[in-house]
Amino acid sequence: MRRVVLLFAVLFAVTFLGFAAMNLLGDPLVNVVGVLAELDCEGIEAGTAEDTTVDAASRDCDTVAAAKAQYHLDRPVPIRYVLWLGDMATGDFGTSFQNDQPVSHVIREKLPETLILLTMAQIVSLGVAIPWGVIAAYRANRAFDRGSTVASFGLLSVPNFALGVVLLYLLALRWQIFPSAYESDNFGGLVFSMVLPAVTLGLPLAASYQRLLRTDLITTLQEDFVHMARAKGLPPMRIMFRHALRPSMFSVVTVFGVSTGALIGGSLVVEQIFGIPGIGREIVTAVVRDDFPVVLAIVMLVATTFVVLNFLVDLLYSWLDPRVRAR
Amino acid sequence: MSAEDLVTGEGQATGRPRTPVEGKASRERLLWRFRIVRLVRPGRVPDDSPAGDESAVRRRLGFSFWLAVVWLLIMAFVAAFAPLLPVADPTKVAFGGPREPPSLDAWFGTDALGRDVFSRTLHGARISLAVGGFAIVFGMVVGGGLGILGGYFRGRLDQAVGFVFFVLLSFPALVLAILITATLERSMLVVSLTIGILAVAPVGLLARASTLVFAEREFVSAARVLGAKPGRIIVRELLPNVVIPMGALTLLGMAVAVVAEGSLAFLGLSVAGEDAISWGKMIVDGAGLRDLQNATHVTMFPVAVMFVTVLSLNFAGDRIRQYFDVKELAF
Repeated sequence: MRRVVLLFAVLFAVTFLGFAAMNLLGDPLVNVVGVLAELDCEGIEAGTAEDTTVDAASRDCDTVAAAKAQYHLDRPVPIRYVLWLGDMATGDFGTSFQNDQPVSHVIREKLPETLILLTMAQIVSLGVAIPWGVIAAYRANRAFDRGSTVASFGLLSVPNFALGVVLLYLLALRWQIFPSAYESDNFGGLVFSMVLPAVTLGLPLAASYQRLLRTDLITTLQEDFVHMARAKGLPPMRIMFRHALRPSMFSVVTVFGVSTGALIGGSLVVEQIFGIPGIGREIVTAVVRDDFPVVLAIVMLVATTFVVLNFLVDLLYSWLDPRVRAR
Repeated sequence: MSAEDLVTGEGQATGRPRTPVEGKASRERLLWRFRIVRLVRPGRVPDDSPAGDESAVRRRLGFSFWLAVVWLLIMAFVAAFAPLLPVADPTKVAFGGPREPPSLDAWFGTDALGRDVFSRTLHGARISLAVGGFAIVFGMVVGGGLGILGGYFRGRLDQAVGFVFFVLLSFPALVLAILITATLERSMLVVSLTIGILAVAPVGLLARASTLVFAEREFVSAARVLGAKPGRIIVRELLPNVVIPMGALTLLGMAVAVVAEGSLAFLGLSVAGEDAISWGKMIVDGAGLRDLQNATHVTMFPVAVMFVTVLSLNFAGDRIRQYFDVKELAF
């Protein structure tokens, strides 16, 4: 119960922080109406200031007033936040400044690409890390284990944009195994063109999963129930996968939630490299164009997902190791 | 019970091979540790294996450590004195022809505008390392300060500090960075501060955890009994002890900061301007399909230099972490 309260407190804090940052650090009015924002409308009305723009004063001031009303810009930030939160809750994410499309529409269009990418990246990383970690732990401190320590160290030191560029060059351009650009004709082609981006995202993650899994597995293999299974004469790999793996997945599950955050960060870069029209590319474009509602909506969406995901991971523990439940 | 996992643990420094009983005890501690580890981003190689061969490594830094240090010193030198080095002007367009392969004149070749890639790579070290260094110092001062205060005074203050850290960690790092750089002018200071803010929470959690341990030690109680004020206890008794684990993770933190700056630069959101050369920017400049196909050197040289630098930071940092026996993976 305390955790639920904390969850909501964090959600409010995160959204407010993001909202305040966007509103206070920049001037949203400038983004909506451009230079007109500098117009001294009150001064014009009072006859103390001159209208310097081409259009008639009244019309420009009307535009500004309309924009202010539409985005509640005439209210103080805390009130604007509450109004905006209300809009978000009812599914109204605002309208993009750039092309007047509703933001919810933009997100719905871009989200599937990113979700496919993130899912594939997690599949790649788990698919690589579990066998890798198991083999490394099975013969701990032998040649393979030592080699894989070096390899994972190297992988963790490659910035993902660098890895992406190198993979793109080697596998897509030089050896032409994978397509170099995003394809959306059919689902198979889509998935195939996402392999390289997913590997870029997933490989460093696999390295860190592998390290965690290996450490936990080595500890688990010293437990009584593993000795028991071995005494029963079960084959080693069966012990590994059926008995030892599940209680050793703790650390991996722990960082699963957090690593999704890292993946989302990475997807901004990777979508850029491989030209995938997803959320990550959208937010970068929106930032460059000062498209305030789009940036805000995506940041909120990502942060909320991230917080909720970590909350769910907490719940997962008790399933993985019943001993946690007893506490 | 917390903390020997996180800092200079006493029980484990001996490096004995673990008995099954000990394995169970560490499992219990592991359970507890999730509270902290889950707040921490993945990406670091986790702490030592319980297999028990670590004691040999622990007190020796090794040849490869010094190799990494030498590389880092070279990079630091290059970053500090890049304008004085006898290399071409990094912003001079048409120093050579466009996209010339490496030659004696231009060791790393030239980019699409005919600028000298070698010179640009050297100058690129400036922003990367400066931003990385500033960010981690900022994180240590602000995060470390908050963490020590929270850990020493406990209660409401501690809860507030913990909440701030939690909120900061609730943003995926790059998204938070984008939020800030999107709204402010992208000067050197803003970019450094942005990445510094990212460092606050992880460093702060570490400082808080170490403070919790040391605050219960005898010498702190002794100081208190002798009538020392909280300020004196924090500065004279706690700070010197907490700085060690924090300092041991400096290089690892810097590696993360350098990569973060690179990512921002790659997205075109790092320090703005023509003379603001950074590795991330150079890599994205040559990452178009045509450049990648015909002039691979434009990207691959900065990629290689950046990789070796980050690897050196990680490697040297990890050795130092082991040397001081700091358990937490942080950042």
